[in-house]
Amino acid sequence: MEGPRETGKSELPLAALRDGESGIITSVGENHGGGHGRGRGGWGFKKRLMDMGLTPGTRVTVVKSAPFHGPLEVSVRGSRLALGRGMAERIFVEIIK
Amino acid sequence: MTEKKLTIALAGNANVGKSVIFNQLTGLHQHIGNWPGKTVEKAEGTLHFKGYTIDVIDLPGIYSLSTFSIEELVSREYIAVERPNLVINIVDASVLERNLFFTLQLMELETPMVMALNQIDMAEKKGIRIDHEKLQRILGIPVVPTVAIKGTGVYELLERSVEVIEKGAINPPAIKYGEEVEERIRKMAKLIEKIPFRYPARWAAIKLLEGDEQVQKEIREIGSENPPTAERLAKEMEEIHGHSCSAIITSERYEAAGKIAREVQQIVPKIRPPVSETLHTITTHKILGYPIMVLVVLAMFQSIFTFGNYASELLSNLLYGWEPLFQGLLGTGIVKELVWGGVVEGIIAGVTVALPYIVPFYFILYLLEDSGYLSRIAFLMDTLMHKIGLHGKAFIPVMLGYGCNVPACLGCRIMETERERLLAAFVTTLIPCAARTVIILGLVGAFVGIQWALALYIIDLLIIFLLGRMAFKALPGEPTALIMEMSDYRLPHLKTVGKQTWFRLEEFIKISFPLIVVGSLVIKLMEILNLLEPIANVLSPVTVTWLGLPAITGITLIFGVLRKELTLITLATLLGTTDFAQALTPLQMIVFTLVAMLYIPCVATIAALVKEFGWKKATFISVFEIIFAIFVGGITLRLLPLLLG
Repeated sequence: MEGPRETGKSELPLAALRDGESGIITSVGENHGGGHGRGRGGWGFKKRLMDMGLTPGTRVTVVKSAPFHGPLEVSVRGSRLALGRGMAERIFVEIIK
Repeated sequence: MTEKKLTIALAGNANVGKSVIFNQLTGLHQHIGNWPGKTVEKAEGTLHFKGYTIDVIDLPGIYSLSTFSIEELVSREYIAVERPNLVINIVDASVLERNLFFTLQLMELETPMVMALNQIDMAEKKGIRIDHEKLQRILGIPVVPTVAIKGTGVYELLERSVEVIEKGAINPPAIKYGEEVEERIRKMAKLIEKIPFRYPARWAAIKLLEGDEQVQKEIREIGSENPPTAERLAKEMEEIHGHSCSAIITSERYEAAGKIAREVQQIVPKIRPPVSETLHTITTHKILGYPIMVLVVLAMFQSIFTFGNYASELLSNLLYGWEPLFQGLLGTGIVKELVWGGVVEGIIAGVTVALPYIVPFYFILYLLEDSGYLSRIAFLMDTLMHKIGLHGKAFIPVMLGYGCNVPACLGCRIMETERERLLAAFVTTLIPCAARTVIILGLVGAFVGIQWALALYIIDLLIIFLLGRMAFKALPGEPTALIMEMSDYRLPHLKTVGKQTWFRLEEFIKISFPLIVVGSLVIKLMEILNLLEPIANVLSPVTVTWLGLPAITGITLIFGVLRKELTLITLATLLGTTDFAQALTPLQMIVFTLVAMLYIPCVATIAALVKEFGWKKATFISVFEIIFAIFVGGITLRLLPLLLG
C-alpha cells in the first residue's frame, strides 16, 4: 500500500490515505474497457458510489479508519460516510498536500 | 372540487426525520403494509385538513432514484406511475448538498412538490444557516423550514401542500445539464415522446443515457428501438469526457446541487464542536469505540432481562389466575382441556414473552437507531461481519434477533441484495431470541451455573460465525461493501420510536399468535389421543441413544417448535417438577439446551422465512438446523466429559 506513495505518483486508492488526508477523486472502479458488468466494479457498484456523492472531481477527506482493516469514515460534500475498505480500494484519488 | 381525497407522498434521504413528519401528520391513523409483490415496507396514514381527506404515503428513505435497491425502484415507480397529488421532499438542512441531489431527481420526475427543510435547529448548531426564501426562488417550489420533533412548521407545510395541489402546477426541473448532455437528452426525449411510455419523456431519456437497466427493459417491452440509440449517444459522451455517461450525469447533478447549496447557505464554523460531534468521535474511536459498544449492548440486555423476568412473572401469575374461572365455565373435561390448555395457555405464553421482553427490547433498539448509534455500531462491526460475507449493517437484524427472530428476519430487508438478505436471515435464525434465553438461563444458568450459560452464548456466536462463513462461501455472488451515511446524533422522537415498536409487535402478533394457537391445539389433541408417547419412542434413537437424554425430551422438543420456551415448560410438566437437577445431569442439561437453542427456528420464524424467501429456502434452513443441532448435541455429549477430564 505504501508503494505508490514513494514513487511520487499522486494517484492512489482512497484506502491508502492516512487519517486527516484529503484527495480529489480521479476515477471510481472504472474498468476502462467500458461495458456495464454487474460484478466487482460493475455498473451497480459505481452508480452507488456516485449516487452517494463520490463522483470524479470531488474532494474527499479520510476522517479516520476503523482498526483491523475496517471501514473508513470519509467526509464528502458536507456529509459523513462509512465506506467499506473494499470500496475505498477501488476509488482512486489525487492526494492534496 | 367535488373530489375531496388527496394523496401525498413523503420522500427523502434516510435519517432526515421523515418518519417523524409522517407521525406528526397522521398521528394514530396509520398502518404498515407491503408494497404489492415487494418485500418493502409501506407506511400509510390519513389525515383531515381543510375539508380534504389526505392519504399520506411514507416512501422508503433513499439517496437516489436509480435501480440500486428495491426501495429506489418502488419509490420512483410510485411517484412516476401512481402519480400522487404531491410529493413532500424532506430535506436535512445540515447536509444540504446531498439532499438536494435527491431533490433534483425528484423534480425530474415532474411531480408537484413542496420541500420541508427539516432539522434547521441542528443545522444552526453546526453553524449552518439557510436562506430558505432564496432556495425557494431557485428551485421554484415552496420551501418550508421545519423542526419535526417539535412539530414546528408542520402546519405550514400542510397548508403549502394543499395550495400547490389546488393550483395544480408542476414546476419544471430546476437543473440544466451541460450543453453536450442536454443536446442528447433532447434527442432521446423527442424519440420517447412518440411512444406511449409511462414515465416522463425527459426523465426516461436521462435514465436511458445513464444506462438504467430497468428503463431499458420496460421500454423494450413496448417494442421501442430506443435503447440502442441511447447507447450510441452515451458512447459519444464517454469518448468526449473519458468517463461513463452515467458518471457525467451524476457528477453534473451533484455539481448543480452543490452550487445551489453554496448559494443559499452560510456556514459559520463553531469554535466548540457541537455535542453530537464529540459523541460521534468518542463512539467511533479506534480503541474506545469497542468497549463503549460492548457496555451499551450489555447494559441493554441486562436491563431488559431484569425487567422482563419481573414483569413476565407478574403477568403470568395474573393470567393463570383465570384458570379456575374457565374450569367453572367449562368443567374439567376435554373441552376445557382444549380451550384452556390449547388456546388460552398458548396466548398467555405468547403474551408473557411478547410484552415483558420483546416490547422493551424493540423500544430500546429503536431508541438507539433513531439517535444514530446503530449506524456507529455498524461502522465498528463491519470488519467482523465481512468475515461471514455481510457488511456492518447486518449487525442490526442480528441485534433484532436477540429479541425475536421473526422481526429479525423481516429486518434483513435493510441488506441490499437478495443474497445478503438470505445470508443475514440464516444467521439471525441462529441467534438466541428472548425465548431461548429463557431456556438457557432457566436451565443451564440456574442449575449448572451462570458461567456455563455464558459459555453457551459464546459457543453460539462461534457456531454462527462458522456456519455464516460456510454459507457465505457456498452462496454464489459477490459481497456488497458497506456504504452508509452516518448522520449526526440527534435526540430520538419518543412517539416515533413507540410507533415503530408497536409495528414490530403487531408483526409478531400477526405472524406468531395464530400459529401458536393452532399448534397448541394440535399438540393438545395429540396428548389427549395419547400420541405423544409413541412419538417419543420413535424419536428415542436420536434423543436417548445419540443425545443421551430421557425419552420424554423428544416430546418437549416437538413442543419447542411452537415456541422455544415451551421446551422448558413441557419438560417441567412431564417431569412433574421444576427442580430439573432431580431428573437431569448437568451434562444432559447442557446438551438439551444446546439442541433447543440451535434446532429449527420456531414455527413463527419459519413462517417469516417463507414470507421473505419462499418455501424451498425456508424448508432447507429448517431441516438443516434440525440436523445440525442434533449433530452438535451428540458431539458435545461425547466431547465435553473428555475436555473436562
